Amino acid sequence: MQRFIPPVLLCAVAIVQIALAHTVALTPWKGGGFGMFSTLDHSGYRGVDVIVEGPDRSEQLAIPESLEVAAARAAACPTNGLLRRLAEGVVARERRYERAVTRVRLTMWRAEFDPATLHVSERTLRTFVYDVH
Amino acid sequence: MSTTFTSTPWFGDARRSLAFDDSSLGITLRLTAITLLLRPMGPWFVLPMVLAAAALVLISPRVLSMPAVWLGISLAIALRIADDWPLADNHIYLFAYWTLAIALSLRTPDVSSTLAHTSRWLIGLAFVFAVCWKAFLSPDFLDGRFFRVTVLTDPRFGEAAMLIGGLSPQQLDADRGALTPLPEGAELIDPPTVIEPPRLRVIATLSTWAILCLEACVAILMLLPPGTSISALRHAALLTFCGVTYAFAPVAGFGWLLLVMGIAQTGAQQTWLRRLYVGAFLVVLFYSEVPWANLLLHVRG
Repeated sequence: MQRFIPPVLLCAVAIVQIALAHTVALTPWKGGGFGMFSTLDHSGYRGVDVIVEGPDRSEQLAIPESLEVAAARAAACPTNGLLRRLAEGVVARERRYERAVTRVRLTMWRAEFDPATLHVSERTLRTFVYDVH
Repeated sequence: MSTTFTSTPWFGDARRSLAFDDSSLGITLRLTAITLLLRPMGPWFVLPMVLAAAALVLISPRVLSMPAVWLGISLAIALRIADDWPLADNHIYLFAYWTLAIALSLRTPDVSSTLAHTSRWLIGLAFVFAVCWKAFLSPDFLDGRFFRVTVLTDPRFGEAAMLIGGLSPQQLDADRGALTPLPEGAELIDPPTVIEPPRLRVIATLSTWAILCLEACVAILMLLPPGTSISALRHAALLTFCGVTYAFAPVAGFGWLLLVMGIAQTGAQQTWLRRLYVGAFLVVLFYSEVPWANLLLHVRG
C-alpha cells in the first residue's frame, strides 16, 4: 500500500495542474503536471503590464525588482488571488513613494508565434482592475 | 536479491544502516542527498533544514536509513513548493514524491523492492504526463514551433544553435530581435524575417519527434510489468534519455533525480549497471558545469 502513495500523489497533482491550465491559464510549465518543454507558453513569453491611476495621473509602470516575484507568480497563474497580491504590492510601493493611487489595472499577456513565419504577436490572457479603498 | 528487514520505526536502527554501505539502496540514498546539495532549493526556513539533513545523511549511516529524516526532507520540499507556488519547477515536485517514497519504503520489510517499484511508477507516470502535454495538450509542440523558437531565443541553447544549426552570431542576434514580443496590439508594417537555415529546421523537427518517441518509450517501459528483457530495455531507455536530453536541457537536477531513481531499480548483482548510472550522473554534472558547446565552437574556429 505504501508504495502507491507517492505515485497517487503525483497523479492527483498532475491532473489538478491540467485542470488549472485549462481553467485559470496556469502555464503548462509549472504546477507539477510535467508540461515543461512542451509549449512556448512559459514565463519567457508571458508578462504583466501595470497601469496605475490616481487623481492626476494614469501611467504605465515597469515591474520593480521588489515585485518581480509577485509579477512572475501572477503571470504564471493569473488567478484573482495572485493578481490582487500583485496589485496590493504596487499600491504599497506607490504609497511608500507618497504617490497617490486610486486604481491599479493589470493586463496579463502571452506571446503567440505564427506556425509558418514565427512572427510574434501578443494575446491578452485577462485584465484585472483593483480599486483602492 | 533485495534488502529485507522487519518493519522499522520512523527513527530507524543501526543494524539496518550497516547493510546499506555498498548496496544499490545505499548508493541511491547517498546520491539523492548529493543531488539536494548540488542544487540547493527553497527559502530560509526550508534550505538549512534540507542541506543539514542531506549532509547528515552522507556522513551518518544511521541517519541515512532513518525514515523520519527522509519524511522531514519531503515535507520541507513540499513547504518550499507551497511557499513559492506556482513557480517551482516540476522536478521539485518529483523530489518531494521521491523523498516521500524513500521514507515510506524504509518502513517496509523489503526496502529495495518497494523503492524500485515506486521508482518505476514515479518515472513512468511523470513521463506519461510529459507525453500527454507534448502530444495532446500543447498546440505548438508537434508542429515544431516549440523547438524552432526555443533554440533561437533561449540563451541556454544559443551555442548549440550556432554549433549544430549553422547560424552565425549576427544571425542569432537578428533572430532574437525578430522573435521579441511586441506590445499589445502593435504590429510592424514590415516584420523582420526569422533566419532559419534548413539544417536548423531539420534539427527542430527531428528533436520534436525524437524527444516525444523517447519519452513515450520510457513511459511505456517503466509501466510494463517487470521482466528481465523489459528491465534491460527500461534501463537503456532511461540512460539514453538522460544522456541525450541533459546535454541540452538546462535542468541537471531533473537528470540527476531520474538517474538516482534508475539506480534504485538495479538488482544487487548489477554492479556494472549501477556504475553506468553513476557515470551518467557525472556526465550530467559535466554537461551542466562545462560550456561544452562553446568550447567546441572555439575549437572549430
